[in-house]
Amino acid sequence: MMNLHTVKTLAYKEWLEIWRDRVYFSMAFIFPVVMMLVLGFGLSFDVEKMPFVIVDYDNSDESREYSYKFTSSRYFDYKGHARSTKETETLVAKADIRFVLVIPPEFSQKIKRGQRAQIQALIDGMFTYRASMVSGYLAAINGHYNAQLMRSWAMKNSGMTEHEVQAMLSPVSLETRYLYNNELKSIWSTGTGLIILVMLVSPAMLAALGVVREKETGSIFNIYASTVSRAEFITGKLLPYVLISYINISILCLLALWIFEAPFKGELSLLLVANLFYVASAAAIGILVSTFVKSQAAAALISMLGTMIPGIMYSGLMMPVESMSAEAVVEAHAFPAMYQLEIIWGAFLKGQGWSELWFNILILFGFVLLFWSLAILRFHKRVDE
Amino acid sequence: MQTAVEVKSFGKRFKKTIAVEDVSLTIQSGEIYGLIGPDGAGKSTLMQAVSGVLRFEKGEITVFGEKIDSEASANRIKRQLGFMPQGLGLNLYPDLSIDENIDFFANLRGVAPEILHTRKAKLLDVAGLSSFKNRAMKNLSGGMKQKLGLVCTLIHQPRLLILDEPTTGVDPVSRRDFWEMLNQLVREEGMTALISTAYMDEASRFNRLSMMHQGKVLDQGTADEIIRRTPGWLIEIESARSRELLPALNDAFEHVEELGDMIRIGGFALQSAEAERRLGMILQDGTESWSYSPIGLEEIFIQKLDNRSQNTPQMRLTENRSSHRKEAVSTDSQDTLIRAEDLVRRFDSFTAVDQVSFDVRAGEIFGLLGANGAGKSTVIKMLTGILPPSGGAGFVAGHNMATSSMSIKESIGYMSQAFSLYLDLTVSENIDLFGRIYGLSGKRLKERHQWVLQIGHLQKECNTSAGSLPMGKRQRLALGCALIHQPKVLFLDEPTSGVDPIGRREFWRILVQLAGELQVAILVTTHYMLEAEHCNRLALMQAGKVVAYDSPKNLKATLKQQKGQVLSLKVSRPYQAQSILESNGYSEVALYGSRVRLFSQEPETVGKDVAALLADKGIEITDVMILQPSLEDVFIEKIESSHSREA
Repeated sequence: MMNLHTVKTLAYKEWLEIWRDRVYFSMAFIFPVVMMLVLGFGLSFDVEKMPFVIVDYDNSDESREYSYKFTSSRYFDYKGHARSTKETETLVAKADIRFVLVIPPEFSQKIKRGQRAQIQALIDGMFTYRASMVSGYLAAINGHYNAQLMRSWAMKNSGMTEHEVQAMLSPVSLETRYLYNNELKSIWSTGTGLIILVMLVSPAMLAALGVVREKETGSIFNIYASTVSRAEFITGKLLPYVLISYINISILCLLALWIFEAPFKGELSLLLVANLFYVASAAAIGILVSTFVKSQAAAALISMLGTMIPGIMYSGLMMPVESMSAEAVVEAHAFPAMYQLEIIWGAFLKGQGWSELWFNILILFGFVLLFWSLAILRFHKRVDE
Repeated sequence: MQTAVEVKSFGKRFKKTIAVEDVSLTIQSGEIYGLIGPDGAGKSTLMQAVSGVLRFEKGEITVFGEKIDSEASANRIKRQLGFMPQGLGLNLYPDLSIDENIDFFANLRGVAPEILHTRKAKLLDVAGLSSFKNRAMKNLSGGMKQKLGLVCTLIHQPRLLILDEPTTGVDPVSRRDFWEMLNQLVREEGMTALISTAYMDEASRFNRLSMMHQGKVLDQGTADEIIRRTPGWLIEIESARSRELLPALNDAFEHVEELGDMIRIGGFALQSAEAERRLGMILQDGTESWSYSPIGLEEIFIQKLDNRSQNTPQMRLTENRSSHRKEAVSTDSQDTLIRAEDLVRRFDSFTAVDQVSFDVRAGEIFGLLGANGAGKSTVIKMLTGILPPSGGAGFVAGHNMATSSMSIKESIGYMSQAFSLYLDLTVSENIDLFGRIYGLSGKRLKERHQWVLQIGHLQKECNTSAGSLPMGKRQRLALGCALIHQPKVLFLDEPTSGVDPIGRREFWRILVQLAGELQVAILVTTHYMLEAEHCNRLALMQAGKVVAYDSPKNLKATLKQQKGQVLSLKVSRPYQAQSILESNGYSEVALYGSRVRLFSQEPETVGKDVAALLADKGIEITDVMILQPSLEDVFIEKIESSHSREA
């Protein structure tokens, strides 16, 4: 049904055109890298180095010691002291700082007297996720300080050693170890995960533009008026974009290792095969889009939105698929992004290989076939206008 | 003879608009069949349907016995078919070289490598492209692109060739070369060709043709048959006092056109003897010389449309005269209002305009002619001060446009190729908008508003949106808007492209009126060579240079002195006749459908010689005409001699 010579002719011509059009060619390679770097560094969920200011009305040894617990933390970025909460208002409003720690007068006296001292934290609540993270860290540090006070009190009163006091005060200790991402660096997950987003959007856009460009100039008539079969045309168009995108996804994987310093623990062969099917399915989506539109502007817009939204919302990149609504779960399964994300995270972070993920590969291959066939069915050589 | 293509009551609509309605035609194999008509006539639609790339609802199309009614049946004939869509070189790949473009088409068509090699060499040779094989397509001239397009379409030796407006926008020499190449290949390979054109003067190139307008066929047959079926006459009068004669001529005859220093009158219903009598009465003392000129398809086209829609407003020059006289600016008609002095414009290493000089006087219509890419628009941009020249200078009313103030630029009227109007606004809103842009208001704006409506005959269309006007009216509105501030100098960049012959004729009437009565200096660019006749003087540009600069009359007279007149013979076997004449030492024998044409200083004697020679070989001559050289002939001669000067 398909004449390989014809497919080769089409693919070679397409490749020559991309290669000679230096602007288009460099865009094809620069766009994914830029998108990956910008989103990778911009989309960090790590709550680290949160800028804050302390208002210390007490100004005692105790208050300074308490403050030190916060200023020395790697999660916070101490910006200095303010004289009153009033002074800090504009700083918070301008988002120069994210929270203010207020130590009231008589903080040291109350502690010494054995009374309860109250500390106030004023947190910028605009970004709820970050605010609750900050509040969690604050509570933990505060708890740590309390424990320390209690320990020294107990040691002083009972004459026990530090170990004995520790065992008595907190008999159960919790040891947490984060699997796959030991240091809980979000850039490991988002950095590698972004590969699936970028390499869904960019192949789709490139391929869609490649076909629609010919519709705009009129050279598509060469195909319409020839004996080239629909499958030959779609395949010939697809191949150069798969090749370019495969080079791109390989570059992005290396970027994840070098720039985002993500580890690679799984099977390389699995990743290499999955990458191929994934970019092929993405490019096929682009070709499918091109069968619906006539202008390059429409092709760019639809292929970008049509891949970016499911790529972000229904891939598991932003939210685990398990915690999505029932409809969203269906959408997630109807798109290749989720399967590739499982493969990428599995191969990079979880150390997984063929035995765990062979089924995903099969599904990705299924998507390639599906989109490719749909594009062939949608493409007609005898058109309405 | 076998039937190659049969179209029966074909119809196609795009959403609400009907593109083609009830068209039937038959193309015999081996003939060159023409579809001739202005933009929007439905030519492309019909050709795409025949090529099997466009679905249609009505009628039947059969190609080589295969009924085209599905994608599968269309596919079966595509092997035997070569289709070149509209738009010069647009179906080629700009970043690929000539060689790579051809190889792509060949591989797409599954041409075997050993055949490809010889076929490519042959076609490149015929097209004269052999020495440019490695040049990227985007760096070719318009004519070369057109030839490459033809080579690519022909690479797989199709039996049926379908070419959509292959000659639009190319220079006259490339146009002639194209027809020669096509004739040669059709003859050698026994192909059938279906070719469309918007140029009425190309009608004689076809064996048979269909004249189309707004999706319908106006007439069919050979060009001679069509002309014979609509008998009429055309007289050209050379007169120094044309303005005085016009009113009387307008009263006496149906069609009167002022063409530069010439008046052309024509009639269909009127007997030519009666016409001669009336003309004699008007001319009386007889210092004027007049002669019959062969009637062309353009006149017949207009005549047929006039019959169809009797309500087309017949505009008379006298109609608005009184209102204009008041506004006429008193300028000496010898005033030079536009002057180009050795204008040069370079873009990087490419010289778009090379030492162009000419001047345009008040009351003169000056034509700047040339193919697409010849540099016409660049000259206009420099003269209007939009683009600074790399060398030389452009003057408007004595002011250097590169350095002049805004106020002088505002005294120019400028109408660009397209989109100068706001299509979503109504006619009135457009006029008011342009008026306010030029600082008009109150009573003055109202006056000018009325004037624009009047000159463009748009009184009835006040509240119609500009976008829904037909092209002819839209261009008249654009012209009116360009004139709203009463400029003395008017630049028109391709004002009539896409307008049908009736619209073009109306448009030119307005221009003649503006030049004559308001003494406006008009510079107009066009790639319709037929329109050159309308200009008082003209400059022909070729690859950035002016190769001809004079009045149409003088240009033709000079060529007549140099090369003589044109002998046109209708023969039974044109291809053979051409090669017999060529092998007997006659040079520049051109083929026009079933006619051969050659130049001769003594057409009568040469005519007899040729007739004897052909009769000897058993070729019948059915008709002999001796014609004056046309402007097209002039242009070809000028371009070629400029080429040989360079070489």
